[in-house]
Amino acid sequence: MNRHFLPSVIVLLVFCSLIYGTPALAADQCLLCHEALADKPSALFKHDIHRQKGVSCADCHGGDRSADDMERAMDKSKGFIGVPKGDGISEACARCHASADKMTQFKSTLPTNQFEVLKVSVHGRLSTTGKERIVQCTTCHNAHGVVSVKNPTSPVYPLNVVKACVKCHADAAFMQTYNPSLPVDQLDKYRTSVHGIRNVKGDPKVAECASCHGSHEILPAADVRSKVYATNIPGTCATCHGDAAYMKAYGIPTDQYEKFSKSVHGVALLQKHDLGAPACNKCHGNHGATPPGVESISKVCGTCHALNADLFSSSPHKRAFDERNLPECETCHGNHEIVAATNKLLGTTPEAVCRRCHSEQEWPKGYSAAGLMRRLSDSLEFLESQAGVLVEEAEQKGMEVGEAKFKLRDVRQARLETRTQVHSFNEERFREVAGKGFATAVVVSEEAQSAIDEYYFRRLGLGISTLIITIVAISLYLFIRRLERAAVDRQTTPK
Amino acid sequence: MNGIWKNIYGWIDRRVQLKTLVDFLGKKYVPVHRNSIWYYFGGVSLFLFIIQVITGILLLLYYKGSEQLAFESIQFIMSKVKFGWLIRSIHSWAANLFILSAFIHMFSVFFEKSYREPREITWLTGMLMLFLGMGFGFSGYLLPWNEVAFFATKVGTDIAGVLPIVGKPLMIFLRGGEEVTGATLSRFFGFHVAVLPGIFTVLLGIHLILVQRQGMSEPLGMENVPAAEKKTMPFFPNFLLRDLLFWLLVLNLLAILAVFFPWELGKKADPFASAPAGIQPEWYFMFMFQTLKFIPSKLLFIDGEVFGILLFGLAGVLWMMVPFWDRKSSRGEKNRLVNYVGLFVVIYIVILTALGWLL
Amino acid sequence: MPGRKQIAATAIILNDRNTFVNDIGNQHRDASKRNFLKYILGGGLVAWAGSVVYPLLAYLKPPMQAEVEVSSVKAGKLSSIEKDSGSIVRFGNKPVILIRTASGELRAFSATCTHLDCTVQFKKDLGVIWCACHNGKYDLNGRNISGPPPRPLDEFRVVVQGENVFVSRKT
Repeated sequence: MNRHFLPSVIVLLVFCSLIYGTPALAADQCLLCHEALADKPSALFKHDIHRQKGVSCADCHGGDRSADDMERAMDKSKGFIGVPKGDGISEACARCHASADKMTQFKSTLPTNQFEVLKVSVHGRLSTTGKERIVQCTTCHNAHGVVSVKNPTSPVYPLNVVKACVKCHADAAFMQTYNPSLPVDQLDKYRTSVHGIRNVKGDPKVAECASCHGSHEILPAADVRSKVYATNIPGTCATCHGDAAYMKAYGIPTDQYEKFSKSVHGVALLQKHDLGAPACNKCHGNHGATPPGVESISKVCGTCHALNADLFSSSPHKRAFDERNLPECETCHGNHEIVAATNKLLGTTPEAVCRRCHSEQEWPKGYSAAGLMRRLSDSLEFLESQAGVLVEEAEQKGMEVGEAKFKLRDVRQARLETRTQVHSFNEERFREVAGKGFATAVVVSEEAQSAIDEYYFRRLGLGISTLIITIVAISLYLFIRRLERAAVDRQTTPK
Repeated sequence: MNGIWKNIYGWIDRRVQLKTLVDFLGKKYVPVHRNSIWYYFGGVSLFLFIIQVITGILLLLYYKGSEQLAFESIQFIMSKVKFGWLIRSIHSWAANLFILSAFIHMFSVFFEKSYREPREITWLTGMLMLFLGMGFGFSGYLLPWNEVAFFATKVGTDIAGVLPIVGKPLMIFLRGGEEVTGATLSRFFGFHVAVLPGIFTVLLGIHLILVQRQGMSEPLGMENVPAAEKKTMPFFPNFLLRDLLFWLLVLNLLAILAVFFPWELGKKADPFASAPAGIQPEWYFMFMFQTLKFIPSKLLFIDGEVFGILLFGLAGVLWMMVPFWDRKSSRGEKNRLVNYVGLFVVIYIVILTALGWLL
Repeated sequence: MPGRKQIAATAIILNDRNTFVNDIGNQHRDASKRNFLKYILGGGLVAWAGSVVYPLLAYLKPPMQAEVEVSSVKAGKLSSIEKDSGSIVRFGNKPVILIRTASGELRAFSATCTHLDCTVQFKKDLGVIWCACHNGKYDLNGRNISGPPPRPLDEFRVVVQGENVFVSRKT
């Protein structure tokens, strides 16, 4: 209902003003003539918001609006410019739209920076002719018959904006002249997305092109200022999806952003600015945004976590999950709030995910395998940390343990590989990888321990040699004293 | 047992007349007075030099003097070779103790005015050996090819380079090129293990022969004491055994230092890395380094650094020439001026060194 | 200190010590004590010599690993490195992967995966550098092209001197 309120008011106002008339309108000879000619611009201009605000043809085209003589009205010496060309178009609009004073005169609350923003946007670059910008105001808004964006007949009204964009963006031949690698099938994808389907059905609230890309300020996705730059995407999506009031009608949760930003992906992307980490679109798609289907989750996650996905797909769990309609990766790891997996996920303890299906009675084999993997995993982690502590201790004692440190990497690698190997859900393979880690960890510990032993051996050796030297020094001292005392004795005792 | 020793002694004696040497040693006396303690530092310096020769030869067995291998070979010695850590740490510590002990020896000689006639040559050779010792330190410092050594050498040779006329060629000679590179390392290695030891050994021979020929110097004024009242001790075995006792203690000190404060290796030198903070020369160069820092960059019309270096050069020459300008001491008279000069130098070195460490 | 004490002039040759010892009086009082002292001194000197000689001998014995590790590592002979292959070279404490492309070009990168520090390997069938832990892939220029690695691999310099291939840190 609210949506229709404003347009109705405007229509009402326009109606009133038409009835009572205004001096400016009455005196606009351009329109009188052109309406009489029944040309298209004047027909369209009849409903133009500018006309209702008292803007005349001459305000854009120049000339004398009060002259009823065609020659005089369209006299170049009176400033008539005819149809504005190239950047002249946008500059003509900007004469009012970039001036806060003029816009207040017309009682408009529109922002006044559109042209400035457009100039720095990707559309503000020079066109192939090199003489003008690629996009002028009229490219999207049309020249005559401009209405408020809230008016459903506006070409930039949410339900219409896709058409405005695809005029160029679906034209492969045209796009090729500017950015050959940019796809031209965004609209097709969009129509498959939840947003696109609803948009077609006439829901102006769902996202269209401008919701994500912006309007005047559109920038390439690789530009860090862009709303669709990888690290900005979650925030862009969250403007709607994080707004509980806005999303109320759709009955889906609005805490995805909150969860995502705490997840391992969110931390990597938003805090560490790791562009390899997925934003919303990596899993949901961008133009074809939709939640992945239950059986395709492992494929989606597998685009990055390929090894895990492969192991999972060839494991017995694949069939079991499909049969029970369980969303593959998500069942154990969750979706938006995925945190770095720890050993806690594995095994038969209450917080372990395996337990959710594998009870000791119902699935004894899986239960015991889960328990075993957890024990091996815990042991490996313990051995690794123990070896690490020993190496560190040896290092702090000033011993050279470069080799042990080098091997310690292999232990860590084996541990990480066991993490991956869990997804095969195969006891033997898991045991094999873990075994490799155990063996190396033992070697590292031994090397570090021998370095520590060496450290104490040095002190012991020093202690022994100090003792020896002390004994020698004392006896040498006594010897000298005796020698000298004897000499004194001999001298004082007459022969 | 005694019979065998006597036979061996007799066998050698018949061939090289050991008896004269033994008689000579037997008649050699060391004056005993309240400053006798300083006599030992000559012996300690000698002992430390011997240790340097032994450990240096041992290090040579595994050290590789090239840009690519120097650091790694020291690392190898420290970690893989049995007791390599001990040998290397002792070499490094003994080097520092050697300089320290040589300095003490030098100053004790200076204040006792033992350089006076007839011991001018002993003094000169001693001073030259002290300079060579510092050269040993400077060249040896670079050999591990680690970061601090690399930059210390860079700064050190830079300083030599500012000298007028001879500076630039000297710097290029020292570096083996415009920059401190592997060529510098090879050069320094050569200086350290061949050139310096050769010269040092000759000087040491002269120094020791002179000490034996002329005997220990007595403090000024002892000439007037009647012979009967003079206290002395036989050089052999009393003084020598005491020397040995001292040496044992020094050796133990070295072992303790090596075990508890093993000489660090640091990071491998990277010629393209920026200099790490706190680049310092070895402590015995510190007072000169610090002085150069304090001298304003322009002094009248001469470059501050050049002025400093020339000043130190002049001071070094004057110091070395003390037997020739201090004629009073040679005549047996007291010379207060020399004492004041010496005292000033000691205080100056102590304060500037301390400032260098604190600032 | 001994030097401060009143010491009479004495000349004693070590060889004459025994005669001298027999000469002086009170020998019955001191004889056993003296012998004890001599044994202690002699034994001490022998033990001390042992404590000096043992480390020296141990030092002289060449260690098992006879060569030092180098930071500019010799990665092998050019002829023994096949085209289209990759091998791990130990570089100090860290592994370096040496790649020889199908066209014969040599390249070296840090073999530490930028994701979780696993050691990467050359995957001939895919023509990439591959990390076994999480399937991270890098192209043969070290750029991360797929999987979780956030950064490219650090590049090392390969120098060919005659037949020998050396890998050194890129400066």
